[in-house]
Amino acid sequence: METLVIISHAPYCDWTGRESLDMAFSLAAFDQPVTLLFTGEGVNWLRKAQQADAVQQKSVEKNLSAAPIFGVSALMADHKACERYGLNKENMMPGVTVTALSADLIERYAHVVNLS
Amino acid sequence: MTTIHTLHIVNKRPDHPAFGACLSSITDQDGLLLTESGVLALADREAVLKGTIYALAPDLQARAITVDGLDVQTIDFDTMVALTTEATRVICW
Amino acid sequence: MTIPTRNNEGFLEDAWAWSPDVAREIAADDNIELTDNHWEIIEFLRKFYKQHEISPPSNRLFVKAVREAFDEEKGNSIYLMQLFPGTPAKTACRIAGLPRPTNCL
Repeated sequence: METLVIISHAPYCDWTGRESLDMAFSLAAFDQPVTLLFTGEGVNWLRKAQQADAVQQKSVEKNLSAAPIFGVSALMADHKACERYGLNKENMMPGVTVTALSADLIERYAHVVNLS
Repeated sequence: MTTIHTLHIVNKRPDHPAFGACLSSITDQDGLLLTESGVLALADREAVLKGTIYALAPDLQARAITVDGLDVQTIDFDTMVALTTEATRVICW
Repeated sequence: MTIPTRNNEGFLEDAWAWSPDVAREIAADDNIELTDNHWEIIEFLRKFYKQHEISPPSNRLFVKAVREAFDEEKGNSIYLMQLFPGTPAKTACRIAGLPRPTNCL
């Protein structure tokens, strides 16, 4: 009965991604299994060494690093999107599984949430 | 600094329709200034940018986008203001 | 001492105005006298905030984070409720000089 929360919006753009993260944290708070999947421009959340204070915001990278502590089961990123935005093992935050967004993947989850 | 005909300022993500509209109306004599989500275009392998390219430093830092090896000038807010006054015209996309 | 400006829920307006003395003053409002057990959690929360730029958003996540960092003994709601009465996440963050947890009523 796991939920998949998809983040497809660029960081520091609007509040959509942060709302999705909040949803994942809330599910984890009630011990509901949840995985986060980053697709499209959303993979830019995962880039290492963000200095969000330069734009007077909190770092989404640092916020996201609390996910395992709060009980989010896994962080995943779509492989094509990572390729497109030049993300690899060296410049991506640790603990992310790169996978392919596919029907097979979606079928593994009871619920899929993508805020658009 | 050579005079820029038109300075195109884009704060939209690369997939936004305004980004495409901007690229189709830009010439080699123009300047392309990337701000906010617009700087993601510098990490985007599919983006084909034109003109003299500038990017706002705080927006690059926030997103940890590096411009090593790219033909891009990283600028601060003061330089951004100077660019807008020097350009013949400015379009915000 | 003069207590720095705080909002209507008692949270500091300026995070940089925090000091251990300020923490004692804020705690006194809730009739809490800070012991080593309190300081252990306050220091943990401040470190957590530095690392993640977020206060644990709810009581449940506060408990989880403490359990992860310490053990079941400390990472349980009764222990934290005894130290920080009311809404533990909210009370503890207020004393630690952090922003209000987003999902605490």
